[in-house]
Amino acid sequence: MDTVIDIHNVSKIYNQETVPIPAVNHVHLHLARGEFAALVGPSGSGKTTLLNMIGGLDSPTEGEVFINGTAITKLTPNQLIDFRLHNIGFVFQSYNLIPVLTARENVEFIMLLQHKPKQERIRRVNQLLESVGLSDKMDVRPAQLSGGQQQRVAVARALASKPQFILADEPTANLDSKSASNLLDIMEKLNREENMTFLFSTHDQRVIDRARRVITLVDGQVASDTGLTKITH
Amino acid sequence: MLSWRNLWRHPSRSLAIMASVVLGTWAGAFILSLYFGMADGRVKIAIEQEVSHLQAHHPKFRDEYEAQWHIDIGRLDSLLPQMPSIKAWSLRSQAQGMLANASGSNGVQINGIDEVAEDAVRGFRQMIIAGNYLDSTKRNQILLGKKLSEKMKITTGNKVVLTFQDAEQEIVSGAFRVAGLYESPNAPLDELNVYIRRDDLNVLLGTPGFCMEAAVLLTGEDKVAESLAWWKLRSPDLLIEDWRAISPEVALVLSTLDFFSLIILIIVLIALAFGIINTMLMAVLERTREIGMLMAIGMNRMRIFFMIVLETLLLSLIGSPIGLLFVWITVEWLGRTGIDLSGIAGNVMKDFGYAAVIYPVLPVEKVGQIILLTIGTALLSAVFPAMKALRLRPAEAIR
Repeated sequence: MDTVIDIHNVSKIYNQETVPIPAVNHVHLHLARGEFAALVGPSGSGKTTLLNMIGGLDSPTEGEVFINGTAITKLTPNQLIDFRLHNIGFVFQSYNLIPVLTARENVEFIMLLQHKPKQERIRRVNQLLESVGLSDKMDVRPAQLSGGQQQRVAVARALASKPQFILADEPTANLDSKSASNLLDIMEKLNREENMTFLFSTHDQRVIDRARRVITLVDGQVASDTGLTKITH
Repeated sequence: MLSWRNLWRHPSRSLAIMASVVLGTWAGAFILSLYFGMADGRVKIAIEQEVSHLQAHHPKFRDEYEAQWHIDIGRLDSLLPQMPSIKAWSLRSQAQGMLANASGSNGVQINGIDEVAEDAVRGFRQMIIAGNYLDSTKRNQILLGKKLSEKMKITTGNKVVLTFQDAEQEIVSGAFRVAGLYESPNAPLDELNVYIRRDDLNVLLGTPGFCMEAAVLLTGEDKVAESLAWWKLRSPDLLIEDWRAISPEVALVLSTLDFFSLIILIIVLIALAFGIINTMLMAVLERTREIGMLMAIGMNRMRIFFMIVLETLLLSLIGSPIGLLFVWITVEWLGRTGIDLSGIAGNVMKDFGYAAVIYPVLPVEKVGQIILLTIGTALLSAVFPAMKALRLRPAEAIR
């Protein structure tokens, strides 16, 4: 199976020089293309730290993270930013849309950073916002959207760069049941139809129930892993 | 686009920065215009009421101010009308001496003038504040400065005695009646200079038909070099100088104008810079999470840096022309009406030879300098907040 994320013996220790706090402890993990996986565990178990290291937002104290065969831990900060731009989509708990841009512009923004031609940008923005059910809200700013709608724009934005996978940190934490279910439907559909890989960090049982692979972290270590799921598309 | 939209995220804050730029530009430019106005006024006074554009003396006269070093009046009267761009001239006799009355004495420079020529060169008649101007039909009249008259308790109609050396270096004296009191814009000079008719002085000096100083007023400052060269060529035996050489302290004011105006501008701009740094820093800190997100999704540091700098640049590009428009209106208005400081600092100004009414002037070439410095300051002020944004770590920023 085509491995997208490959984590080798990754550890992260905060405050190494004063009072060391191990957040992630010798984790090995592989995610294949098309997985729909959830990283679960109690608060402080290291979910977000691990997710940040996979996303190149934080660097491990020890070990290697490979994305599609590239050791991102060896990249310079600028190379890492460029790598994220082309390979990783992010969905954050608090949406983090740019408040001064419309839904369309928020999705288009990442393609502007990629220097995509205008025609391609317009076509993809329309397609993505339609796929998340927001074709009628394209020219609306985030403040005029509900939480669920904002998170759907965030998903469309994450997909706009055509990433290798999407990292979603507590994507449903701020959503009501209906919005969460709606968002998960969209993500599942994208996973199924576009073979997009999703890795969630979550506490939310609604997400865990939908995930086809559940990796449990306890005290920075993988306590259980339901294993690679069979991916059928 | 993002920078432009960010400006209007908090319109009141953007307007505050813009107002700072407007105020900074206005204040910097207005202070400069005041400074230039004061300097212009000082030069105008120096040329039109003190030393004129050009002066000629016998080369040895300035050494000891002795009457023996004189110039033939007839020679000058035939030469000077031919000088290019000449407006008026005055041929003066001079002596250093003592003025005495019953209450005491004071060292003075005695100027023997042709009352009509002196008025044409310096507008002397208009400086009379009490009594009358010199009358060509009356002998042994004297004009005293207001400050000297106050010091020696002399008023119009009083008699004073002038004592000085003649051309043979013999001590001579003459009694003069005070015809009038004058007040020029330069109080220290008023205390030192007394004026009598040239013919009266020449009789006492024993130098009839001669003068010690020729002062020439030209049609404009731009004619000085040409007329100076013309005169020097025709009178190589005389020491001919322009007002910059005669009055070096005034020339110094002009030569230091650019330097001091730059210092004033920099002080104003430093204040502006702190305002911008403070506001932009607030804007960056408030957007920590958003900037972290931008870094996370792949916006590189250079773009984030330029985004912040561009926001400030846009505000400056809007604010600076508005500030200049305001300063143009202010300078145009006050350039006509003048700022009258006589009520609060008139005497102080006069003590230093400056006019009590300042007419602000803003040279065109300074406008570009102000715009560039204001925008440059705004950009430099944006660097610190932008650097602060670059130091954010995306993982921490979005937490």
